[in-house]
Amino acid sequence: MSNDFDLIRQYPWLPSLKIYRSDLASINPIEFIKDIITDPSKEVLRDRIYEFFKSAFDNLEYFSYYKIDDLNIYFYLSLRMLLIILNNKSISYRVANLYSKITYNELATENDSNLYSICKDLKLDIKYEQEPIIFRKIAIKDQLETLQTKFKIHFSDYLKLSSRLKDDFRKLINNALKDGYVYLRPKNLSRLIQEYVRMKILKFEGDIENINKLKEDLLKVQEFKDLYDSIIADWELKKERFEYSFETAFKKGEDISKNFPPCMNEILVKTEIGQNLQHTERLIIVFFLLALKYPKDFIINIFSKQPDYNENKTTYQVEFAKKKGYVPHACSTIKSLNLCMAQKHNDKLCLDGYFSKKNNKQKKISHPLFYVQFKQYHSAKLKNKDKIQEKND
Amino acid sequence: MTEKFYLKRIFQRYYEENYSKIPMVSFFNKREYGFIPWEEQVMERHLSFENSKNLIDFFKIKAPRHAYSSGSLYSQPEIPDMEGKGYQGCDLLIDIDVDHFYTPCKEEHDIWHCKECDKRGKGMPEKCPKCGNLKLERLSWICEDCLNVAKNEMIKLIYDFLIPDFAINPEDIKIAFSGHRGYHLKIENEKIRSLSSEERREITDYVTGQNISFEILGLREHSNIVYGFFKDNIGWAEKIMNFIVELLKKPNSEINKVLIDNRKFGFKSPTIKSLLNYKDDFLEMLSNNERNMWSIEGFSPNTWKKFLRSIVKEIGVEIDIPVTIDIHRLIRYPGSLHGKTGFKVQEIFLDEFNDFNPLNESKEKLDPIVFLGKKETHKIQIIEHDVPETRIKGKKYGPYKKGDIIEVPHHIAVFLLCREVAKLS
Repeated sequence: MSNDFDLIRQYPWLPSLKIYRSDLASINPIEFIKDIITDPSKEVLRDRIYEFFKSAFDNLEYFSYYKIDDLNIYFYLSLRMLLIILNNKSISYRVANLYSKITYNELATENDSNLYSICKDLKLDIKYEQEPIIFRKIAIKDQLETLQTKFKIHFSDYLKLSSRLKDDFRKLINNALKDGYVYLRPKNLSRLIQEYVRMKILKFEGDIENINKLKEDLLKVQEFKDLYDSIIADWELKKERFEYSFETAFKKGEDISKNFPPCMNEILVKTEIGQNLQHTERLIIVFFLLALKYPKDFIINIFSKQPDYNENKTTYQVEFAKKKGYVPHACSTIKSLNLCMAQKHNDKLCLDGYFSKKNNKQKKISHPLFYVQFKQYHSAKLKNKDKIQEKND
Repeated sequence: MTEKFYLKRIFQRYYEENYSKIPMVSFFNKREYGFIPWEEQVMERHLSFENSKNLIDFFKIKAPRHAYSSGSLYSQPEIPDMEGKGYQGCDLLIDIDVDHFYTPCKEEHDIWHCKECDKRGKGMPEKCPKCGNLKLERLSWICEDCLNVAKNEMIKLIYDFLIPDFAINPEDIKIAFSGHRGYHLKIENEKIRSLSSEERREITDYVTGQNISFEILGLREHSNIVYGFFKDNIGWAEKIMNFIVELLKKPNSEINKVLIDNRKFGFKSPTIKSLLNYKDDFLEMLSNNERNMWSIEGFSPNTWKKFLRSIVKEIGVEIDIPVTIDIHRLIRYPGSLHGKTGFKVQEIFLDEFNDFNPLNESKEKLDPIVFLGKKETHKIQIIEHDVPETRIKGKKYGPYKKGDIIEVPHHIAVFLLCREVAKLS
């Protein structure tokens, strides 16, 4: 077993960093950055940080310069500080993804004892059995696969770490739950910790005024400003590749409803025939159409055939939802509300998903907005093909 | 005197005479309170009370038609803006309401009317069988049978899921009869209070069986043969295996009844016959736990999946999902009166729950029928086209037709007036 400080050096996102490096916890951020910039022994750190951002922008799943050395704690803290002042969600997601993947790779090779210490440091309610528990057996003919583990985690902690992970393997119902604990193999536990790390990197504390002040002060340190500017310049070059160039928002005179998923069409058909909608159906369609930037009057009009239609009330509610900017419901929510219509309409895109070239695998649609985006993208691509064909003809 | 004014007065009398029996919810001044008055169907919420005396005074003066308190705790519950309330966590709320699922007794006591073609009937069809109209006027009723179904669902939830799987401490479980069609369950526990809406959805999926993956649980298919679960797998696979074993241990006639039922398995006779022929061998294989080749003549992989999906439906609990995932939901205040029945929202301890019978409860302290009129009767007039039979305290009243003038005990009059199917005569 490594000693606790070795663990902190390797995993500087552990909460006990504050105890082992109380000097860093109390240091002023400007002093911290000046120290990195001026200390010759930390010169390599600046390159490491820059290369890390570059790898994140390239959506890489590994980082060749990653090293568990004395600088690793500084590396982690600098990344977080830079993300705070960059204040750009797209950058943060990419950095958090890459950093958490690297962490997963490290955790995957950990021994049980260290993994247990990490969980305890994270204040997870975790138990370690002396003998492995077989929680699932799977067999085809004579080939028997036995899933066993010594780790079990309290379901409340399991849910906190897993509920954002959308794949069916993480769903509580598909896991072994007994006496309040979920049985997890070390690699699955590591995957949950990876998610903890990702979320921790994405978590911003402090208000925008303070962040701006911090940014202003930090950028007065010339070498740091150079690093910051290089990252920004690199991002500007790469970002075009990441962002979808096709428009999904409503445009006057254009009908994008043909690209709606069956769940939304089902609700719209109900409104058309004047069938009374459930409260949740009303919310789902309003948030969805607002996200697609449909005009307020258009949305209000949809409800005009509802038996309990009251124009003033509907206007107020639609305006309120618009003001609040509610996020439209994801497929998982719609499914749990029994409003998913993929089976009923045998919708291939919903049921089978699509082939992701980036991941080289079949992926499921997880959000109605992505369904629209995907369909728009494909019809745009088809149109483009037709145009090229016409030109060639 | 209007019916609503009359009911408000008797609710007021109830609160004046029984205020000492109204319990105080935990974290009393961190909860948000909401009420629906008799005068209009509008929820007045974002209220808070410093102490129970203030709440009792409110009950005595306003005698609301419906009274609620939040499952959530807030630092400032009286702030109307949800974001400004200072959310501090929410008890896990689970609502089981017979309105949400089929019970055979509904064929007897639930009434519908199609406004388009004027057809009337009993049961809960999705649409009018005559003209296909989807908008039906419905009058749903309650009886001991359907409330028993709701109670059994609650028992299933507690003893098949909450205690064995989630290890919920029975002392953290609070159950209440809602005063009408079902039961509420509240789990008051610090760890659970901190769960987000998304995390609560995982719990609802778990207890209802939604989004289960047989493949992940270990079901395999190879050369058109299904390789099933092992009985010592932990979690849902174990529940499914136990269900299959229990089902197959039953007499053939009973198995047949369950499997042929269209609302349950909906199997055709030849499929059932085949399963029954192989029953003993299959049971033996399941019990020895060494082999898992599920091979029964006439059972294709799709038949097995249909079989398993139906089992999941049987094992899962029929809960009102949005109630559990909504962290700002208000639920009926214990000890208050339900304005649609005049019954009390009755808290029940877990050890009393099995014997609890809301429509004919023998223990006075648990009896939700608070307006029990042993001698006092009232004359009321039926205003609804058809009113189904009502059976309360072992006595039967009705069915009634529009225009009937009836003389019934006080609690029945209150019930029918609250249901808005009768007026004072």
